[in-house]
Amino acid sequence: MFNYLIKRLLWMIPMLIGISLISFFIMHLAPGDITASESAFNPKASEESRQKLRALYNLDKPLMTQYSLWLKRIVKLDFGNSFASHQRPVLWETKDAKGNISKGMIQDALPITLMINLIGLLIIFALSIFLGVVSAVNQNRWPDRLITIIVFIGFAVPGFWLALLLMYWTGVTHSWLPISGLHSAGFEKMDHFSQYVDLFKHLILPVSISCLGGLASISLYVRNGMLDVLQQDFITTARAKGLPENKVIYSHALRNTLLPLITIIGLSIPGLIGGSVIGESIFAISGMGKLFFDAVLMRDFPVVMGILTMGSVLTLFGNLIADIGYAWADPRIRRGISN
Amino acid sequence: MKKIIQNPLALSGLIIISSILFIAIFAPWLSPYDPNFIDIHSILLPPSLSHLMGTDGLGRDVFSRMLYGSRISLLVGFVAVGIATLIGTFLGAIAGFYRGYIDSIIMRFVDIMLSIPTFFLILAVIAFLTPSIWNIMIVIGLTSWMGVTRLVRAEFLSLRNREYVLASEAMGASDFRLISKHLLPNSLTPIIVSSVLGIASAVLTESGLSFLGLGVQAPQSSWGNILTDGKEYIQFAWWLSLFPGLAILITVLGYNLLGEGLRDLLDPKNKNQKK
Repeated sequence: MFNYLIKRLLWMIPMLIGISLISFFIMHLAPGDITASESAFNPKASEESRQKLRALYNLDKPLMTQYSLWLKRIVKLDFGNSFASHQRPVLWETKDAKGNISKGMIQDALPITLMINLIGLLIIFALSIFLGVVSAVNQNRWPDRLITIIVFIGFAVPGFWLALLLMYWTGVTHSWLPISGLHSAGFEKMDHFSQYVDLFKHLILPVSISCLGGLASISLYVRNGMLDVLQQDFITTARAKGLPENKVIYSHALRNTLLPLITIIGLSIPGLIGGSVIGESIFAISGMGKLFFDAVLMRDFPVVMGILTMGSVLTLFGNLIADIGYAWADPRIRRGISN
Repeated sequence: MKKIIQNPLALSGLIIISSILFIAIFAPWLSPYDPNFIDIHSILLPPSLSHLMGTDGLGRDVFSRMLYGSRISLLVGFVAVGIATLIGTFLGAIAGFYRGYIDSIIMRFVDIMLSIPTFFLILAVIAFLTPSIWNIMIVIGLTSWMGVTRLVRAEFLSLRNREYVLASEAMGASDFRLISKHLLPNSLTPIIVSSVLGIASAVLTESGLSFLGLGVQAPQSSWGNILTDGKEYIQFAWWLSLFPGLAILITVLGYNLLGEGLRDLLDPKNKNQKK
C-alpha cells in the first residue's frame, strides 16, 4: 500500500507539469498584448504604466522564461493578482503593508462550488443506487423500463434549460423558492437556524440541476453492474445455500457493484467542476464556474490561468483519493499492490 | 440496415435523426417566415396558428428560427465529432500499434487533457477567438478526442497480436497496410458507437456555449441562443424557453438512442447473451 501511494504521488509530478504547460500556453497563444486588456479596464493606464505591467508579468522576456518564472511562482501557490480594478489575489488572502487583508478569489469561490457538488454527489449516490438496484432486480419489467426511459431523458435534458423551467415554475409563477444567489437580503441579521433554512432553500435548485447528468449515468452504471454481478457463480451459491433474496442482493451483489463506483466519482470531478459554469451563471452563485466565466469575458488572465490550474489539480487529487479508496476497499488490489 | 429496423432503440433514434436532417435541409421551404425578419408589431406574441411557437423580443417567428437552428446543431455535431474522431483514431492507432514509449507519451497526454475540466478549457480558448460557429466546432473537436483515443488504443492492443495480423506482418505488409487493412476495420464498431454518442454531447456543449453568449452569434439562430432570449424574457414568454430546450432534448435523445442501439447491434458479446 505504501509503495503504491509513493508511486502514485510521483506520477502526479509530470502530470502537474503538463497541466501547467497547457494552462500557460493556451493563455499565451492568444493574439494581442495581455496588457491591452488591463488598459481596457482602466482607460487612464498610460504607455508607461503598461511598460511597468509588462515588466511585472515578465511579458518582455521570451516565452520559455516567462513560463519558468510563472511555474516558480505557482509552485509557491502564488497565482498573482487579478487584473480587475480590485486587484485581489487569485488564490489566497494576502496582507498588504498596512495590514489590510484582501481575501483570495478562489478562496472565496471554491468552498461554494465544492459544497454544491458534494451535496449533489451524495444525492446522486443515494438515488442512483436505489434506481439502479430496482432496475436490475426487475430487469425488463415495467419498473426497469420506466427507469431506463427516465435515464435516457436525463442524459438528454440540457441542464440549463431545466434550470430555466424550474426557475420559472418555482420562482416566477409560484414564488416557492428563491431563484438567485445563496442568501436572501438581511441574511446577516437572521439567527443561526433561519440562516440554515435560508441557505437550504437557495441550494435546492442549483443542487438539483448539478445532480442531473450524474444521476442518469450512475444509475445506468449501477443497473448494468448489478446485472453482471447477479450472473456470477457466487450469487448462485449464495442463493443455493438458502440466503434470503434481500441479503443476496444488498450484501453480496450490491457491494461488488459499488466498488468500481469509487473510480467513477474520481473521473466525474472535471465534468462537475466544468458543469458549474452554466449552473452558477444562471443562479447567480459566485462559485468557481461563475468566477471563471466572468474572468474569461474580461480576459482576466491571472484568474483564468489560476482556475484552469487549480481545477485540474483538484481533479488530480480527486482521482488520487478515488484510487486510494479503491485500493483500500478492494482487498484483491490491496494485496496485489503489496506483493 | 434490416437489423437497425428490428432494433427498437436504433430505429427510434434513426427516425428522430432523419427527421431533423429533413427539417434542416428543407428549412427554407418549411418555415412560414424569414427567420431574421424583425416585425415590431408582433413582439412576444404567444403561440397561435399564425405563429406556431410564438414570436421573440424582436417580433421574429420562433418556429422559423427553430427550423433554421436545426442546421447549426447538425453541423456542429458532425464537424466537431468528425475532428475528434480523426484525431482520436490517429493517436489511438499509433499508440496501440507501436506501443512502448510512443504509447506512454500519447496516453500521458490523454491523462493530462482529461484532468483539465473540459468546459473550462473550451471557454478559455473561445474567449480569445471571435465567437463563430466554425471556431466552436473546432474547439469542441479539439477538446473531445481523448475517449476515442483510449478506445482505439485498447482495440489495437487486443488485435495487434492476433494470428491474422501476425501472418500478414510476416508476409511483409507495411505498417500502414496492417493498420488500414487489418486493424482499423476491425475496430470500427466502438469508434462508430462512440462517435454517435459524441455527437449528442457536442450538441449539448454547443447549446450551452450559445446560451452563455459565446457560441453562435445573432442574428444567426441556434437553439442555444433562442434560449438566451428565453432567459431574458422568462417572466413574460415561456414559449421562448420551452421549445428550443425540447428540440435539444429530442435531438440528443435521438443520437443517444441510435448510439446505444448500434452498440447492442454491433457488439457480438450482446448477441451471445440474448441467445
